[in-house]
Amino acid sequence: MSVQFIALLTLLTPLASATLIALFLRKQGTLASLVSTLAAAVVAAGALTLAFGGGRFGEQLGAPVDMEWMRLGDFTISLGFLYNDLAALMLSIVGVVGLCVHIFSLGYMHDDSAKARYFGGLSIFMFSMIGIVLADNLFMIFIFWELVGFSSWLLINHYCLKQSAADASKKAFIVNRVGDFGFLLGIILCYYTFDTVNLVEIAHASGAGGVVAVAIPLLLFCGAVGKSAQLPLQVWLPDAMEGPTPVSALIHAATMVAAGIFMLCRIEPLFAHAPAIALNVVMWIGTGTALYAALCAITQSDIKKVLAYSTLSQLGYMVAAFGLGSIEHLDAESHTLIIISAGVGAAMFHLTTHAFFKALMFLGSGSVIHGCHHEQDIFKMGGLSKKMPLTFITFTIGVLAIIGMPGLAGFFSKDAILYLAMENNTPVFIILSITAVLTAFYMVRMWKLVFLGGTRSEDADHAHEGGASMTLPLLVLGVLSLIGGYEAIYGGHFNGVFDQVAHPHGSAHTTILITSLAVMLTGALGALFFYKSGPADSLQQRVPGAFGLLNGLKSTPDAVYGYYVAKIQQRFALVLNFLDQILIGGVIVRGVSGVVGLFGLAARALHTGNIHVYVYWFLAGAVILWALAAGTL
Amino acid sequence: MNLPFDPLLVSIVAPLLAAGMLSLGLPAKLGKAVAAIGFLLPALLALHCWFYFPTDLGADYTYLTGYDTGLSYFGINLMLGLNGISMPLFLMAGIVGLASGLYAIQSKAERLPLYLGLLLVMQAGLMGVFASVDVFFFYFFHELALIPTFIMVGIWGGRDRGYAAMKMTIYLTIGAMLSLLGLIALYFKSGADNFTIIELHRVIAENGLRESIQSNIFALLLFGFGILVSLWPFHTWAPLGYSEAPSSAAMLHSGVLKKFGLYGLIQIALPLLPEGFSNWVCLFAGLAVFGNLIVIGLVTIAQSDLKKMVAYSSVMHMGYAFLGLACYSAVGIGGVIMMMVAHGLSVALLFLLSTSIHHRTKTFEMSDMGGLVKYTPVLAAFFVIATFASIGLPGLANFWGELAIFVAAWDFSPTLTVVSVSGVVISAIYGLRAAAKVFFGPESEAFAKVVAENKPADLCICEKIPALILIIALFAIGLWPKTISGPVTNAAEVLYATAPSAAVDTAQLSR
Amino acid sequence: MTVGLNEYLYLSAVLFAIGFFGVLLRKSTLIIYMCLELMLVASTVALVAFSRFNGTMDGNVFVFFILTVAAAEVAVGLAIIVALFRRRQTIQVEELNALKN
Repeated sequence: MSVQFIALLTLLTPLASATLIALFLRKQGTLASLVSTLAAAVVAAGALTLAFGGGRFGEQLGAPVDMEWMRLGDFTISLGFLYNDLAALMLSIVGVVGLCVHIFSLGYMHDDSAKARYFGGLSIFMFSMIGIVLADNLFMIFIFWELVGFSSWLLINHYCLKQSAADASKKAFIVNRVGDFGFLLGIILCYYTFDTVNLVEIAHASGAGGVVAVAIPLLLFCGAVGKSAQLPLQVWLPDAMEGPTPVSALIHAATMVAAGIFMLCRIEPLFAHAPAIALNVVMWIGTGTALYAALCAITQSDIKKVLAYSTLSQLGYMVAAFGLGSIEHLDAESHTLIIISAGVGAAMFHLTTHAFFKALMFLGSGSVIHGCHHEQDIFKMGGLSKKMPLTFITFTIGVLAIIGMPGLAGFFSKDAILYLAMENNTPVFIILSITAVLTAFYMVRMWKLVFLGGTRSEDADHAHEGGASMTLPLLVLGVLSLIGGYEAIYGGHFNGVFDQVAHPHGSAHTTILITSLAVMLTGALGALFFYKSGPADSLQQRVPGAFGLLNGLKSTPDAVYGYYVAKIQQRFALVLNFLDQILIGGVIVRGVSGVVGLFGLAARALHTGNIHVYVYWFLAGAVILWALAAGTL
Repeated sequence: MNLPFDPLLVSIVAPLLAAGMLSLGLPAKLGKAVAAIGFLLPALLALHCWFYFPTDLGADYTYLTGYDTGLSYFGINLMLGLNGISMPLFLMAGIVGLASGLYAIQSKAERLPLYLGLLLVMQAGLMGVFASVDVFFFYFFHELALIPTFIMVGIWGGRDRGYAAMKMTIYLTIGAMLSLLGLIALYFKSGADNFTIIELHRVIAENGLRESIQSNIFALLLFGFGILVSLWPFHTWAPLGYSEAPSSAAMLHSGVLKKFGLYGLIQIALPLLPEGFSNWVCLFAGLAVFGNLIVIGLVTIAQSDLKKMVAYSSVMHMGYAFLGLACYSAVGIGGVIMMMVAHGLSVALLFLLSTSIHHRTKTFEMSDMGGLVKYTPVLAAFFVIATFASIGLPGLANFWGELAIFVAAWDFSPTLTVVSVSGVVISAIYGLRAAAKVFFGPESEAFAKVVAENKPADLCICEKIPALILIIALFAIGLWPKTISGPVTNAAEVLYATAPSAAVDTAQLSR
Repeated sequence: MTVGLNEYLYLSAVLFAIGFFGVLLRKSTLIIYMCLELMLVASTVALVAFSRFNGTMDGNVFVFFILTVAAAEVAVGLAIIVALFRRRQTIQVEELNALKN
């Protein structure tokens, strides 16, 4: 089998599974779940075969693998694959995490009444996500970009009889559409500027043709702002936690939200050749999101909301890393200084490790929620370390990885970002360090409240470990979170990405190590000693002012958007509706018909019904006609 | 493959024959069967024409046949034919006609034979509109389809049917008269021997028309056709008419008949009157983008009545079409045709499903619904598909047209493109809001009462079949757009090979 | 005294005037109807006279048409008047104003 064929198979298997489920298996939930999981297994196998088999394709300029999908005039949309190391890495992540989530879902959604719809949605999502990863042109990315938006809508809306789920799914789709508005304009602008939307050709053309207009990368970045939930479009992601927990793990933590960062890395040449302002905007939006979301996470009491804000914050990290751009790097072999796009390297590295440990923690929280009979309030948990030992151990690995414990996955990738920030931009470095403190703080807070101390509710008393289908994925992801930071495990197959990761040397190495250890310990120990295992938030009790402030910080954007939607947009729409009905439909149309009606009224006055009057009119008419004919009038 | 008869003529005559047989007062079952055949035949023949449509045709016509109707003294012959622009619309008319016909057959309308008969006459008119090469018959078939619409609104309409029928009649008659004036003026000023589009093209290509004449005729055609397509601010007939019309009439009119105006502009007005076009393009592009897309888009958000919302959304989508026309390029025009076909399918599906929803909730008021998915999962799935189709999700037909229009519009005016792309957000807002209000969330009190009286059942098979016909078509075009984009682009590239000189200037100005 | 064309035309004019003012002024539908007939006869007289003095048959041909039409009118008109009277119990024109509104 050629590599292209395997790639195509990987793309189409989930689509086939989704079609099969939608058409024939709507009532056979169990069968549907097995079909979908089998498809995910095929995807994982295909992705890993491709990645470690060594085949890469589509990277050459003018590679004739594209298939024309639609053509109107000189405008074509084609389908093609660009499978380089970047795509290989992302595809492997999607495959592995996707399979874990599918297997976990077998247990988690076992008793759900709409299992078929759920697994059909997962398959559709896998299909669309793989499409984004493999796409070789911007229009194709956009097409699958919309499709992941749809599958996200479908899966958030899984518990669709709940008002909150219906609202959250709607919000997620619409907010994403706002981002897509810019994305689409960026693609069109790109099409007119370079006369192509093929990624390889764009990379070639942007390098050749002088400075790229700053609008192109920034408009394209809008898409990433929506999909990766960066400021100011971050509002949909916390609400998206209304979906089932495995969905949150797959879509809203590991893969779809990371697609924004992946897309940025795909179009990195555009940024590299645009004025510096483009990257700076990206960097500051990422940094702002990282800090903002970390602050919000501190006061959350819902276990999934903590993780959601943590995801936002980490996505901010990745975006900031991308925005930090390139760096001069001493090549170890040739001992020469070369410029590497360290932003791409650091962002993708962190994306990889984050996918592992955040999916792990989300699935862990799913296991906790499942064990506690769908209780999500961390203040009603406690003491679960004894009830659910395996979940406890794997979750702890996740926590340690995200706060940057040396040796675990998150440590390496976070260090790469911090080093890059230290070299390129000191204010960003400081903010990201503060964020790291906060990350350790809220993570340890949650970990302590959930697992340590005594149980605080009936549900927590009766907590129990789920079946093998739920513990196995935790183990796999736990191992990956342990070793995911060592580039050796990737066997040099993703060097196109990892060569771009900047590693500190000499004194910089020491500084970074000390900094990251210090921030981690500060945050973690602070939380460990500050929070008491009790039914109330220690921060709320001791420093209510700060707690209120953070809560306000969290709810302000929602309130602002809520105000805009309910008070401005809706009222404006109502006013326009009123004008449409009254002004156009009423005054103008009825006005015209009224004038016509007046003439009618006047004419009707002549109709007396008396034959004699008609005869007189007839006479008058005859006289006038005669006069006209005779020329006297 | 050659059929032993003219497929175009048969697809027009078959529904008329069926209507005639119905008027004889057949027994109910036989009548339904006859009507079904009357709807099915045009659809099958249209599929046939599509399947065997030549790929190397350019803008020429195929299946070209002329019939003398005794009017040849005036240069009028019933000449039928299809080219790359009319074929997709002819196909769409067949499919939507079949779906709305089947939906009408299963409906429990009073005086069903009359209802079906009128619908069949309408269907004949629709097939005729897109199959006519002769401009007189192009217009004649439009009227043939229009008159049953008025009658159907007047008899089977909703609460305000009297006012709605009257308003529709007045608006559409004025629109049709203006365009008829324009067509006649075009015929006389061109000095053509007969009334066919082919002859008009030939004569005007040879002789040309003065710019002032072009401009005046174009204005007549633009506003005449514009009223028929509900160009803002001449749109108020549409929401009222559609929300009052019985579902099958609304499906056929908004889905197919409304495209008459756009089709006339694409096939006749723009290619024949390029200079007239460039005098008016800024006006109508502005009206379309700010009026139809933004103002009506926001008005759609404000609707609380499901059917009104669908009606307004259909008005809004016409804004994209006019924007595409303004581009005057193969991409833009191709996009408009793709959009017309897709919009015809999706809006017909939405009207069909709204009526099915109404049967179950006994209301069109969206705040009195909620949680319907619990009882009718298939209906919910269909509605979600229709909604996502109309907000332009890739994989469904509407995406291609909108995308092509946006791409083409950038060449015309980046500013208008930016404004019009915001339409994708607006349509997502009202579409998803409607889906959420009707199907998701908890039941409203009013709906709970309805449920207590009569538990809603899911779609029955006879409702599913027409809906599925439309859904399959939406998916087919969405997944494999070349089904229609091939012939369209062949024809559009010939008809719109050269941009009118003044249009280029405006494009440069707005840059 | 010879009777020339003018005398015939005077007679015709007088008859026509009687008929015309009768139509304008009388209230009874029956009388208005008779006055109409009078006007027709007036024109008949004029046409016959013209025909006689011109020596052609054109006028006579017209007369035949007028007679035919008048006969038809009698048949239809009287029937209408009878039907009207049956329904409304009156043939006075000012009471027959159903055309209004």
